[in-house]
Amino acid sequence: MRPNRKRFRRRVKVCRFTVEKINYIDYKDVDLLREYTPTNGKILPRRVTGTRPAFQHKLTRAIKRARFMALLPYTGA
Amino acid sequence: MPLYDFGVIMDPEIPPEEETATLERLEGIITDGGGEVAEKDTWGRRQLAYPIDKKNYGVYHFWKVNVGGEVLEKLNFEMRTNDAVMRSLILNMDRELRRKRKMDAKYEARAAKKAAKAAAKAESAADEG
Repeated sequence: MRPNRKRFRRRVKVCRFTVEKINYIDYKDVDLLREYTPTNGKILPRRVTGTRPAFQHKLTRAIKRARFMALLPYTGA
Repeated sequence: MPLYDFGVIMDPEIPPEEETATLERLEGIITDGGGEVAEKDTWGRRQLAYPIDKKNYGVYHFWKVNVGGEVLEKLNFEMRTNDAVMRSLILNMDRELRRKRKMDAKYEARAAKKAAKAAAKAESAADEG
């Protein structure tokens, strides 16, 4: 290995919904949705979480519904 | 009749009898339209993620409702005009779960295929041995 190359272990990202076979994301499942919204209230990109595109779409929709029903904040406090 | 997922946030400051009256009226609209409330899930008083109408709390009710689509208009009108209802959301679960059913079937087919393959392998191993 080249000496000046930075070496670091890349954390393996897995799509939680694929692994756990969650096929439907309910907007009422606030604890699950919280994991994908940091305190600032934004939706984490799949680049960060490793979620599959199909599930990212569903997740986004569920989070937006939860926001409408005031279960999740639009913006962080 | 499609299954609907129905959620309302009620005003926490109204008297409890008015709240039950409103809920009964909503249920009445559903049953009058030939539908039924299949499941009731009451979360009760809960802090809102952000204030709505300058209120920090809301009373959550989630129902699973079996009604024809034409009743929804009446239901939505009632909820919009009723001051006790702060917010509501109705989802068509048949439409929501269509993909889920498809994916469930896919997973099942995959599992069945795997099992069949394993069985075949075991069989051939038994033949050789």
